[in-house]
Amino acid sequence: MNYIQGRSRTTNEIVALKEIHLDAEEGTPSTAIREISLMKELKHVNIVRLHDVIHTETKLVLIFEYCDQDLKKYMDQHGDRGALDPMTVRSFMYQLLKGTSFCHENRVLHRDLKPQNLLINRKGELKLGDFGLARAFGVPVNTFSNEVVTLWYRAPDVLLGSRTYNTSIDVWSCGCIFAEMISGVPLFRGRDNQDQLLHIMRIVGTPEDRVLRKIATESPEITLKQYPRYPKTPFQQVLPKASAQAIDLLERLLQFDPSKRMTATEALSHPYFTGTTNPSYGLTPPPGSMPPPPYNFPHPHAHQQPSQPQPQQQQQQQAQQVPQSQAYTHAQSGIYAQQDAARLAQAQAMAQAQAAQAQAHAHAHAQAQAQAQAQAAGYGGVQYAPPQYAHGR
Amino acid sequence: MEHILLVPLASHSQIENTPSREDGMPHGLEEDLRAYGCKMIHEAGILLKQKQVAVATAQIIFQRFWFVTSMKHFGIGDIGMGALYLASKLEECVLRMRDLINIYDVLLQRETHKVKSHTHPQTKKFHYTPMSYFGNTFYDLKDAIVVSEMQILKRLGFNMHITLPYNTLVNYLRVLGLTDRDDVCSRAWGYLNDALQTPVYAIYSVPTIVTAAIVLTTRHLGISLPSTPPDCWWELFDADWEDVWIVCGHVMRLYRQRSVEDCIRVAALINKKSVREWLEKNPTTGDQAMAVIRS
Repeated sequence: MNYIQGRSRTTNEIVALKEIHLDAEEGTPSTAIREISLMKELKHVNIVRLHDVIHTETKLVLIFEYCDQDLKKYMDQHGDRGALDPMTVRSFMYQLLKGTSFCHENRVLHRDLKPQNLLINRKGELKLGDFGLARAFGVPVNTFSNEVVTLWYRAPDVLLGSRTYNTSIDVWSCGCIFAEMISGVPLFRGRDNQDQLLHIMRIVGTPEDRVLRKIATESPEITLKQYPRYPKTPFQQVLPKASAQAIDLLERLLQFDPSKRMTATEALSHPYFTGTTNPSYGLTPPPGSMPPPPYNFPHPHAHQQPSQPQPQQQQQQQAQQVPQSQAYTHAQSGIYAQQDAARLAQAQAMAQAQAAQAQAHAHAHAQAQAQAQAQAAGYGGVQYAPPQYAHGR
Repeated sequence: MEHILLVPLASHSQIENTPSREDGMPHGLEEDLRAYGCKMIHEAGILLKQKQVAVATAQIIFQRFWFVTSMKHFGIGDIGMGALYLASKLEECVLRMRDLINIYDVLLQRETHKVKSHTHPQTKKFHYTPMSYFGNTFYDLKDAIVVSEMQILKRLGFNMHITLPYNTLVNYLRVLGLTDRDDVCSRAWGYLNDALQTPVYAIYSVPTIVTAAIVLTTRHLGISLPSTPPDCWWELFDADWEDVWIVCGHVMRLYRQRSVEDCIRVAALINKKSVREWLEKNPTTGDQAMAVIRS
């Protein structure tokens, strides 16, 4: 899909425009319908914001928040043969799970998570984009299309033919992306459906017949075949660079049995993110490179506040760089720059204090949230959660 | 947990004064046309062997549409086609445009024949004439589908979030211990489907509508449930009795005896052109329109 860069006349903000031509044969493309109807409602720091839709006789123009590049390109440019440094991986992974968890909380399946659909902006924020295959889900009664998710990131249950999959398919994709950020290459590179399944089995091991039968009973559309018996390859062997905690998280995300897969929300409180000490995180990125993105985001509902909490180190770096590079400043603080250094310094100090506060708050909140969620029932349960209704439009 | 994807319901002013009524259409006629459009969607869905989830979704979209648009500007036939086409995309069981056009062509020809045989009793039995290969019918209907789909999306602000009532019914019947009775299940299921011909899905929450379906079922089958305050079974489902009773009223109105003239009048008003002509011939003042509502 082609994106055009544009600038908003009202806010002077740079935006990305996506043109969708209306087809006389098919009407409005279903990808466009999904994308608009879902993204319009999903407002989160880690989800690309859909600002507006312009509607003409022959085309639809979607106006998105602008992001510089996607994760694939970011890895090519900033990675060591594609592999990102551990700190960036951790930050991106946190943001990816945060965005995914927000979708799932709001009963939206993304169904096409892959590096090309994750956008990175100058602030190092990662945002989920391209909701062309996404759909809202309720109590799992409907059967969904099986033609979802780009092959390499497709969950084994979908590869087996499941049509009653749930949020766990996005979690599988997150796991694949995690491994890819660590190593620089996609983890499972199959040629077709069957080959993809074999690639997966060669690493995670062929599940026991009992497990396969269980998956098939849970999704009756699945037809099982005979598969070669592969033993499990330890992830440490596949990803020698990864830390023990990273391996543990990956292990929990890439579970063959969808019911065993961790949820995105659970993953956010995994020790990989909550652990404080890690020797390789002390490095300051070389000047001029993209700053290491923050991973302690404020609570999703508080993201309207203009100051993004960022690690202090980075804030200082930012203060030093402001005169040369406008790129690092926020739109709001941009007006101070160069004109009044004293005010700028003051503003920066305030922002720092705020950031530290917000960070502490966000952390406490995230923990509280994680606890609350741990108590609540998981997705796909049989309990009926009454939907909420709103009057008006 | 807070959910962002809420089901949109019509506002009080939209319900009180729909765009069609504002254009002088009597309340009763609008109600009939809404129901008729939904019946056509239902028939087309059966002929196309489309999944019920898509048909129900289409009917709800269709009902919502008339809270933002007047029947003077779009015909119930066209919007019905557009809604069914759109709903099939939403529910991932896409229809071929060609199939949908053929089916609607049959339905529309049948309606024309119905009207004609009423005014000219000597008309022969209905016989479908397939559209000419070089004719314009196909292209006209295709345009109508594309335009309707777009207009529905545009006027409803791309808000296509719809919750169907069926899971809720299963859960409620389970809570009430009524799932063993096949007659209860199928009757309640039927009321939910019939309610799709009324605007209730655009006005009330799913729990209220499902409760109403259970009220009608248990009353018809003479099953007693705790109904004396403070132990009223519908309160388990957060339903307000007054709302439930109104939904029951909407559904029961569908079954009342109708005159042949009423049926023919509706069949003749499937496109916007005929609606416009009808409105010109039958100008209603505000008072008359109100009188029709009261009657």
